[in-house]
Amino acid sequence: MNAIEIDGITKDFTPGLREAKVRALDGVTLRIREGEVMGLLGPNGSGKSTLLKIVLGLLAPTAGECRIGGVPSDRVEARRRVGYLPEAPDFYPHLTGFELVLFHARLGGTARVGRKERVEAVIAEVGLVEAMHRRIGTYSQGMRQRLGLAQALVTDPRLVILDEPTSGIDPIGAAEIGEMINGLKTQGRTVLLSSHLPGQIEDLCDRVAMLDHGRLVLQERVEELTRRRGQTALLVDRLPAGTLGELRSWLQAHGVEFHGVETPRTSLERVFLETIGSLGKKGNERS
Amino acid sequence: MNRVAFSPARVRWIAGNTFREAVRQRLLLLLIMVAATMTGGALFFSDFHFGSSELKFVTDVGFGALAFFGAILSIVSSAQFFFDEIERRTVLTVLAKPVWRAEFVLGKLGGVLLLLLVFCGLVTALLAGLLWWRETGLMKAHPGTFETGRVVAYAGVAWCGLVQWLKLSVLAALTLLVASYARSSLLAIMAGFVALVIGQLQYLARDFYGMMDSSLARGGVWLGGLLFPNFQLFDVADRVGAGETLSAGLIGGLAAYALAYMSVYGGLAVYCFRHREL
Repeated sequence: MNAIEIDGITKDFTPGLREAKVRALDGVTLRIREGEVMGLLGPNGSGKSTLLKIVLGLLAPTAGECRIGGVPSDRVEARRRVGYLPEAPDFYPHLTGFELVLFHARLGGTARVGRKERVEAVIAEVGLVEAMHRRIGTYSQGMRQRLGLAQALVTDPRLVILDEPTSGIDPIGAAEIGEMINGLKTQGRTVLLSSHLPGQIEDLCDRVAMLDHGRLVLQERVEELTRRRGQTALLVDRLPAGTLGELRSWLQAHGVEFHGVETPRTSLERVFLETIGSLGKKGNERS
Repeated sequence: MNRVAFSPARVRWIAGNTFREAVRQRLLLLLIMVAATMTGGALFFSDFHFGSSELKFVTDVGFGALAFFGAILSIVSSAQFFFDEIERRTVLTVLAKPVWRAEFVLGKLGGVLLLLLVFCGLVTALLAGLLWWRETGLMKAHPGTFETGRVVAYAGVAWCGLVQWLKLSVLAALTLLVASYARSSLLAIMAGFVALVIGQLQYLARDFYGMMDSSLARGGVWLGGLLFPNFQLFDVADRVGAGETLSAGLIGGLAAYALAYMSVYGGLAVYCFRHREL
């Protein structure tokens, strides 16, 4: 069953009375199945946030229609079990983290009995226990992002929509949010993740839909896109001297084309995560 | 799928959040302090009462401060708390929940009305306290003048505070209507002040154009006059200052008048916001 059905969505904006229309989305059709993590990938201005807002019923499409769990997305009922984290959220600075999540739990219809316990649990899940009674105005960007995730998850949604969830936060915070998204997948929730970072989509998503200038240019399983068909790579430790020549001769003798030898490289991001992580600086209050 | 019904509880939570924001931003406290200073200051300038009694002078200044700072609070808070939600994008997370846009608009209005109620209540209570204290002093100094007892109608003072709250509530609803479709808070604030002036002075236009011969023009003026409330109707402080009591009929009529305008403005604000792209 599909969690989200998007059919031929087109969205035009008119910036000013005398200005020409700008087409933000052009006939986008997409299906997101229940329980999958779908990545929405595209450069800035490609229409990702606009599409998410249409899915949430916050914007009306110029043409086409969208349904969540079979319910038209412009109906309030469609958002009954949806959690949403907007890009770079800026929450009420006068509230504490606990008050904000409680406010959203109430609006989302979380049962009165056990509501506060649920709020505390979800705040603990995103690692903000120590800061939950502090005003949000004192939070760093990374803490706000995690708080945003808490308010999105407090109603126990089946569908979680995340718009650039790691925007403005450091690699450690991004890795933590990545772990949380993997956790959502394990729990069987559907996740629609918008990002302009291909690496993030590759790490977290089952499928990817690529948008460019408002058009859906590709949708495929991430594994299918990243696999080099027909090629095999061997990764070995400390190859003895002369072995490489023997191996190459053997391959030539068996008609296998040999492309080359590479020393595997790691990413600077991975080195950073391993180094900082091993120093034990992975604290709750990190931005 | 079951329908999500309109929920007064959600309206209450949004209103409570708006009120809490106003209190924690200390906007309310600031305006109460300014209004209190002005009202209290009237005691020290009571020599300048221009022939009217000292107690009437204090009453006039007190309700003048209430009307002036209340109007600022009403317009600025209605526009600002609404636009803050859009600029901070907090409205997105609220409306991404099963929340009707009508609940959001009415919640914001409810929060501002609660704020105005607290403001009017505190300033009126302060004014009544000052009048009581000053009147007690005057009774001791000039017992002959007060042979029949106290001259200030304290119930009238309280009712007048309520009437001012009704007026400010209408103004808040009108400002919220502009904010629901305007693209900037400045426009909504300016429109709120213009509406205040129009509402306060529209009786002049009615008097002038009402004398015109053309029935079409008179009808147009009558219709135009309906768009804006006549705020002069709420100016009952003079009567209270003169020791008059306000009749239940007058207060009930003003409440119905205010409720009618608030319903129309609130309904239109909901309509505009339902079609607004966020």
